[in-house]
Order: sequence, then C-alpha cells, then structure tokens
Amino acid sequence: MSEAPGTPITHPAHAPPSSPGERVPPCILLVDDIPANLRVLYESLNGRDYRLLVANGGAQALDIARRAHPDLMLLDIMMPDMDGFEVCGRLKADCETADIAVIFLSALDDATDKIHGLELGAVDYVTKPFHPDEVAARVDAHCKILRLERELAQRNRQLELVRDRILNSMVEGVVGLDAEGRVSFVNPAAERILGLDAQRILTRELGDWEPARLRETAARVLVEQREASMDELELPRGDGSSIPVELRAAPVSDPAYPAGVVLVLRDLSERRRVEATLNRTNDELTRSHRELRVAQMQLVQAAKLESVGRLAAGVAHEVKNPLAIVQLGLDYLEQVTAFDEISREVLQDMQHALSRADTVVRGLLDFSRERGLDLKPCAINDAIAQSLQLVRHELTQRNIDVLTNLAGDIPERPFDTDKLQQVFLNLFMNAMHAMERDGTLVIRSDCASVAADQIGPHAADAGFLPGDRLIRIAIEDTGPGIEPKDLGRLFDPYFTTKRQGEGTGLGLSVTRNIVTLHAGSIDLANLPQGGARALLLFQPQAASADNPAGAASPLFRNTARRQA
Amino acid sequence: MSKKKILLVDDEPALTRMLRLNLEQTGRYEVREENRGADALRAAREFRPDLIFLDVMMPDMGGDEIAEQLKQDPELSKIKYAFLTAIVTKRETGAGAAQISGEIFIAKPVKRDELLAAVQELLGE
Ligand SMILES: Nc1ncnc2c1ncn2[C@@H]1O[C@H](COP(=O)(O)OP(=O)(O)OP(=O)(O)O)[C@@H](O)[C@H]1O
Ligand SMILES: [Mg+2]
Repeated sequence: MSEAPGTPITHPAHAPPSSPGERVPPCILLVDDIPANLRVLYESLNGRDYRLLVANGGAQALDIARRAHPDLMLLDIMMPDMDGFEVCGRLKADCETADIAVIFLSALDDATDKIHGLELGAVDYVTKPFHPDEVAARVDAHCKILRLERELAQRNRQLELVRDRILNSMVEGVVGLDAEGRVSFVNPAAERILGLDAQRILTRELGDWEPARLRETAARVLVEQREASMDELELPRGDGSSIPVELRAAPVSDPAYPAGVVLVLRDLSERRRVEATLNRTNDELTRSHRELRVAQMQLVQAAKLESVGRLAAGVAHEVKNPLAIVQLGLDYLEQVTAFDEISREVLQDMQHALSRADTVVRGLLDFSRERGLDLKPCAINDAIAQSLQLVRHELTQRNIDVLTNLAGDIPERPFDTDKLQQVFLNLFMNAMHAMERDGTLVIRSDCASVAADQIGPHAADAGFLPGDRLIRIAIEDTGPGIEPKDLGRLFDPYFTTKRQGEGTGLGLSVTRNIVTLHAGSIDLANLPQGGARALLLFQPQAASADNPAGAASPLFRNTARRQA
Repeated sequence: MSKKKILLVDDEPALTRMLRLNLEQTGRYEVREENRGADALRAAREFRPDLIFLDVMMPDMGGDEIAEQLKQDPELSKIKYAFLTAIVTKRETGAGAAQISGEIFIAKPVKRDELLAAVQELLGE
C-alpha cells in the first residue's frame, strides 16, 4: 500500500483501531520540500511492511498528520514554508497529534540542533546524506518501539480495568495516598464507609484525616515504608456518625513510583452487630439456664416436700392417736387418783415425754407444710429486730452479747414476714444453743455484691453468681463451730447433734425450705476465728405480679395464684 | 337439768374410752362410744346426742361423711359436731378448738382441759 510521491493524499481521519491478531502496518509520513529527497526516502522504505504517506512542506505535513494520524513522521528541518522544528512544535502542542513520533532529517550536523529537536519531543535524528538502509533500520527500530509502547499501554489499560473492577467490588474500603499524603484514589466501599463521595475524599490532605491515630499511622507508613495496622478505630463519617473499622496501611513501595500509602478500611459494624447479638443471646441463655436451675431445684424441693408431706400425714395419724390415748389416760388418772410425791413426779415426766413426742410430730407436719407464702413488701431489718426481741430475754440470761450492724439502704421486697421470723428465730436459737453461755451473737445485713467465697452450695443451686447484687444477712456466733463431717448434713431433716429430746433436727431444714420458697439461699460455714456463720442471700429486686418472690418458677406461680 | 348427751366416734376404742372417762368424770355428760361409721349413724338416731365428736379419718367412713349424712336429717338438725384430727397441728387450731371453713376441729392429742373447754363452748354452757 503506497502512494506516489508528490500527489496529495487523502486518508480517513483516523486509522481503524487495531484489533488483536490482525496487525495494521505502521503508517509513516515522509516530509521534505525537495521531491528528490522524498523519492529517496520513499525508495528506502517502499516494499517493507509500511503504509507510506508523503508531504512536500510543513503546512501540508500538519494537515495530513491531523487527518491521517500517522504513527511516525520523517521530518525535514529546512523547508521554505515552515521549518521542521515548528512543525514538530505544533504537532506536540496539539493533543490530537502529540503522540506522533518524529524523526528529524537534516543536513545540519550540529549537536545543538539535534538537542533542540529532541527537546521538542523528537525521538531520533538522521543526518543527510543518509544511507537508505540506515533510514530503514531506524524507522524499523522506532516502529517496533511504538508497537511495544502501544501494547504496553493496552496492557496497562487492561490492568487498570482489572484493578478498578477489583477495587469496585471490594468490601473493604481502599484509599490511595500519594507521597505527600494527598488522596489519589478511592473505591466505592471507601465512599460508603466514610459516608462521603469520592470527590470529597479526593480533596483530603493527610492532616484532614480523623482520628489523630489514623493520621499518625499513615504518616509513619509514608516515612518508614513499613506496613501498619489498627484493630479498632472509630472513624468519623460524613453525616456526623462514626463507624468502627479495622485499618491496614501498606506502603506503595515500587521504587519507580513516588512512594505512597494504601489505606484498607474494613467495616466492623456488621461484626459488632453480630457480636452484640451473640453476647445478648449468650446472656439470655445464661439467664434462662439459671432460671431453669432454680426452677428445677424448686421442683425437686416441691417433690420432696410432697412426699415428706404424705409421710408426715401418715406418721401423724399413726402416732397422734396413741399420744392422745396416753394423754387423756394420764389426765384421767390425775383426776381420779390420789398420788404420792414420787408418783406425781413420774406423772410429770410422762407428761413432758408426751409433749416432746407431740412436738416432734408437729415439727414434721410444720416441715411438710411450708409451701404457701403470704408475701408482702417488707423491710428485712424489721423482721430481724422482731425475731431478736423474742430471744432477747434468754440471751441476757445466758450472758450473750448481741452486736447488730444492719444497713439502712436495703430495698424492701416481698417476704412472708411470719416465715422469715421463723427463719431468724431458728438461726438465733441454734447460735444460742451452740454458745450455751457467754459469747457474742453478731447480726449483719446489707445489700451488696457477693464475693465468690460467699457462694455456698445452696447459693450456687439458687443460681447466684459472684458479683450479683444481693441482700445479705449474716448471723455469726462465738460457739464451737460445726464439725467438718457434719457440714453436709446440717440441713437434712432430723439431723441434730443435740441430746435426745433437746432438738428435733428440723430447724434448719424448715429454715432452708422457707428461704428456698423466697428464691433465696442459706449456707452455714465455720468462721476462721472460730464459731459458725449462717449466710442468707436474697434477690433485692421488686417482684413482678406473676413472680412474687422475684424468681421465675412454677412453684412460685402456683403460690401466687393460690393467694390471688 | 338433764345431762347433755355426747356421742364419740373414732376407730380407736382406747381413745373413745379415754375421752368418755374424762367426760363422765365431770358428772355432767351422758356419753356413748362408737368405733365404726355405720354404727355411728345408727347410734346418732337412737341416742339423740347434743354433740358428736368425729374422727376425721376412719377406715370405713370418714367423720366428715358421717356428719354430712346426719345433717340431711331435719330431726337431727340441732346436733353440734366437732372433728378430731391428727393432721391439723396445734398451731393451726391454737389451744383447744378452731374453726376451719365453718367446722370445729380439735387437734390430737387433746388434753383433758382443752377437751372440756371445747365441749362447754359447743354446748353453750
Ligand atoms: N450455729 C451453730 N453452731 C454449731 N452447730 C450448729 C449451729 N447451727 C446448727 N448447728 C448444728 O446443726 C444441727 C441441726 O440444726 P437444726 O436447727 O436443724 O436442728 P436442732 O437445732 O438440732 O434442733 P431444733 O432446731 O429442733 O432445736 C444442730 O444440732 C447443730 O449440730
Ligand atoms: Mg435448731
């Protein structure tokens, strides 16, 4: 494909875009005002794989260049209408033609001219008279360079496309900072995370970033060119809110580029939400597990009570008739017989034995009946004081001092006051019996968070955990304490270390039943300084309508209904 | 004034006997014992007591059932009833007798003094 030299050439304004596979031959425009020179040039390149165009002056060269857009121009310098330097200058000034490669041809063999030409953007220089082969070789070389450059540009474009696609589809926000810390690029995720559009982000300087930690990290990475990351960062957003992110700042360490930093922002709010939900679910699980355990304990307790209740009724029936017979028999004999002194004492002893037996059976019945509660909001300190009043006299007689330390800020909550008094009475009596004579009874109450070592076995069964804020009542004595072997059995019905007839062994089991019905706990332990301590724990919160004692359990619901 | 009549019903003969001896010993009451529910019904009609002591739990017929049947009879409407029970505790009845849902209950074991006080109260003496 060639044109005869000298003839005006018309061409399509632009070469068709090259498609991969089919290679369009490079288009070369030969420019010289001397037809002979044009011919020589033409001859030296003709027959090779080029499309050749010719122009016989500067103006024509510019015209053809604009319309045909050749890849390379062999440009004579000395031309009458417009010299080559000017042609080259105009070409480079017009962005349509700026990428056309220029090789100057001139008789001038002057280094300053060559430099001038190269400064104007030419790629090479051939001195006349030239050897056709040299011209061909240089054109070949430059065409190859041009082709490679184009391919490179194409690759680059493709790479950029891929990069953009990756950046656009990334969940992480990516922000590029140049060596000065100015934002050079931004992906859509970064726009979303920052709540700003790219335009706004692109105007940012390093100093605009908040918080300071982020700014400092980015600056450090810029200087040190070492990657850094931050686990948790609250990033302010465009709308005034903030967003938790994880940040990675990586240096752009290609030596060919001015060093910059890439910031990768990972949105943690979803993770936070999931974590929060998980935590909440976990809390709910823990709570319902706790409630379940309490409910289960109370069911077990209820079942025990029921079987004990049946047993108690049977025993009472079997035992009380004989007791009644003996009682009425003795009463009758006392009426109708004149006894001497000794017989009278015998009768007295028999009467006492009878009432002891009756007490045991009655205790059993009492024990099996502690089911319903009459709940009213009550200040626990009042119940303590009233119970204490009942044993005051005996304490004084036994020379036992009483120390009380009752906190004034304990919230009222529903209690069965009578039953609560029974509890305190039992505990005071036990302490008193343990000390016998001379000692100190210490009674403390408050509402505070319990320590781990205050959670006894019963407290654990009640679902109390260290750190729970609970009503605490401690009753301490200076008695001998509890034999370690007995510790596990104190609350068993009928367990007593007292002499025959002096204790039923039901005091603590009744006490525990009552406390359990109030969703509380009672544990007994020895004190390091000697003596024993009973520790009662209750939940302080006001109870709801269907949950009178402050715990969710079937037992309590029944109780509430019964009383409604 | 003729003696007031008291019928004692309990499946335990020794108990009715002890109750009877104590009541008779005062010289104020005419007392009869029965130890089976069916006999008690018959005795109530023949003997026409002013007051009947009934054991709540008996093998053949409970005291409450006996009272229920007797109350149906208009001729026996004046009879007063008291229930003896082993499973009501003293705390619930207090000393002596107690009213539980309109009925008089006396907890076993009953002492002579408590027994006499309850009888006097029931008979309006
Ligand atoms: N403060 C204490 N110090 C030492 N031992 C105690 C104390 N409290 C209770 N115990 C022991 O626990 C046992 C059981 O107590 P519980 O109150 O159940 O029955 P009890 O006191 O023996 O009989 P009751 O209560 O009928 O008088 C006691 O016999 C005693 O051995
Ligand atoms: Mg006790």
